[in-house]
Amino acid sequence: MKDCGLDWFEEMVEHCYQKATEFHEAGTPIIGILCEYTPRELILAAGAWPVCLCGGDADMIPAAETLLPAGICPLIKSTFGYSLNQANPFLEMASLLVAETTCDGKKKMYERLAERHPMHVLELPQKTGDPDARIHWIRELQKLRTVLEERFNVAITDERLRDAIRLMNRERRLRRALAQEMRSATPPLSGRELLDLKSLIACLPDDLAAYERIAGALPGRPADARPSPDNVRVLLTGVPVPHGAERILDLLEADHATVVCQENCTGIKPVTEEVDAEADDPLTALADVYLHLPCSVMTPNSERMRRLGELAREYRAECVVELIWHGCLTYDIEAAYTRELAAQFGLPYLRIETDYSPNDDARIALRLGALYETVRAARR
Amino acid sequence: MDAGSRAIKIALLDTRTRAVVATGSCDQGINQSALASDLLARLLAEQGLDAGSIAATVATGYGRHAVAAADRAVTEITCHATGVYHLHADVAAVIDIGGQDSKFIHLGTNGLVVDFSMNDRCAAGTGRFLEVVAQRLDVPIASLGEHARRADKPASISSMCVVFAESELIGLLASGTSRENIIAGVCRAIAQRIAAMAGRIPAGKIVFTGGVARVAGMRDALAEALRHPVTVASDPCMTGAIGAAIIAARENGGSE
Repeated sequence: MKDCGLDWFEEMVEHCYQKATEFHEAGTPIIGILCEYTPRELILAAGAWPVCLCGGDADMIPAAETLLPAGICPLIKSTFGYSLNQANPFLEMASLLVAETTCDGKKKMYERLAERHPMHVLELPQKTGDPDARIHWIRELQKLRTVLEERFNVAITDERLRDAIRLMNRERRLRRALAQEMRSATPPLSGRELLDLKSLIACLPDDLAAYERIAGALPGRPADARPSPDNVRVLLTGVPVPHGAERILDLLEADHATVVCQENCTGIKPVTEEVDAEADDPLTALADVYLHLPCSVMTPNSERMRRLGELAREYRAECVVELIWHGCLTYDIEAAYTRELAAQFGLPYLRIETDYSPNDDARIALRLGALYETVRAARR
Repeated sequence: MDAGSRAIKIALLDTRTRAVVATGSCDQGINQSALASDLLARLLAEQGLDAGSIAATVATGYGRHAVAAADRAVTEITCHATGVYHLHADVAAVIDIGGQDSKFIHLGTNGLVVDFSMNDRCAAGTGRFLEVVAQRLDVPIASLGEHARRADKPASISSMCVVFAESELIGLLASGTSRENIIAGVCRAIAQRIAAMAGRIPAGKIVFTGGVARVAGMRDALAEALRHPVTVASDPCMTGAIGAAIIAARENGGSE
């Protein structure tokens, strides 16, 4: 059994499954989401539970490749394969899926997904800084509000929305606090342990209590349970690491290294900003924060580079590793910017392009080994 | 010790003088740990030394974790950089093309690795790729360069996957393209791939190492693709092993 209450999240999927089954049987809707741009607040304010459906299982991919091209990213293929195989109970229980036009691969995959599941697609504008993009995104969220109200016969009042925002802010704050523990010269967790501290379903009361328990216990975690303070400090950036694809964190940390910061959608990216629950129009406040998520689909996406620079300093990173899922064009193109940024900071940089299959583990380990040797040589 | 995909190489280094005492190599095989031990014993015997005269052993190469005789493993990126820097102190970048990998390594003025890139997943642009080409065209690998020099119109090779390239070669042969032009085309395609991998080309000396550096013709193709002179390392098959030995000597504080 793990210390500091970490064991709670070792059985995260089982807990979520149990809760989802209870909700489903009680007639409380479960709504599937597929990307961090969908505001979970609107779903919570509709009295429903948002569950993340992003696939991380390599075994789902062969089925998906019967309809989708092999060259698109494994996350898209795995998510879709779960539907074809009817293997994701959360997807099967969901009353509605809310998706958005983040990237071309996802957008076109959702057309096929909609053949088996009720689906609402938000059109995500991609010029973050354009005032018209903001107006469009606010309208998209207004439409989602109406869709949810009509489909589930509820009124999403501003008050309900404010309550949902407060709840999500609390979850974001708790997860952010855990991530920020890694700024320490003696990080209390491995990156892999930190990655496990999240849930498929947002804001479950038991999860919130567990985050709080762990946050309280971590400062007292004994040195022998922590990663060695001599480890190389890695800033990981790029694509998300969904449940099932954690081998990449294991590889990153196999050779005396600790991933101290994860600048991606399964890490710190979606919990960095809070939404103003007291704003005149909570929906507009929601739209503003979500549109600022620095995903590589945005153009220009300079906010990501600005945040990366801050994180490199705050977390005292010694090197930058960029993870690109094979076929993710936008992150792959941005990799050149990250490389330049790392050079500005004098940090060794490595780009890893891979998919969910373990057949290139030895090659990745070799590259990481050489990167860490470079960091250690520079320490002397 | 450099346990590569095609051969095992060993260098003995004097910890005091940092001079290379002896080098040797043998073909890679199933039991690489035993092959490495036998090779080491042979080299020691030739020098009139015994196991007791070894202060420390570092292994590198893809089999670096499998060699029992080694005290620890260091990646071939660090070892090639160290070995080449030992032999060419003015080096700015290293191109290493081995049996199954190709690498472009940028070095700082202190000889430390600054940045590197490697080929991904397939054997494109590696020694194995050239072996397949030589075999398919019935040309000894050592004379590939000679043939390439006689080319008048190097063929364009688009496929950089060994398997697909082989069928592309068959197609070129069937359409009457000369062996010389195919070989020159292959060398050029590999060189262009390395140049794309290199990113920024350094102003200083670029040293070419690894087994493929012995294939005459590849150096010229690389120089053309990089638009920069390329120097072949003075002992291209041994730089990994020499680098490993230097690291072993350093960590041992130069003790006798």
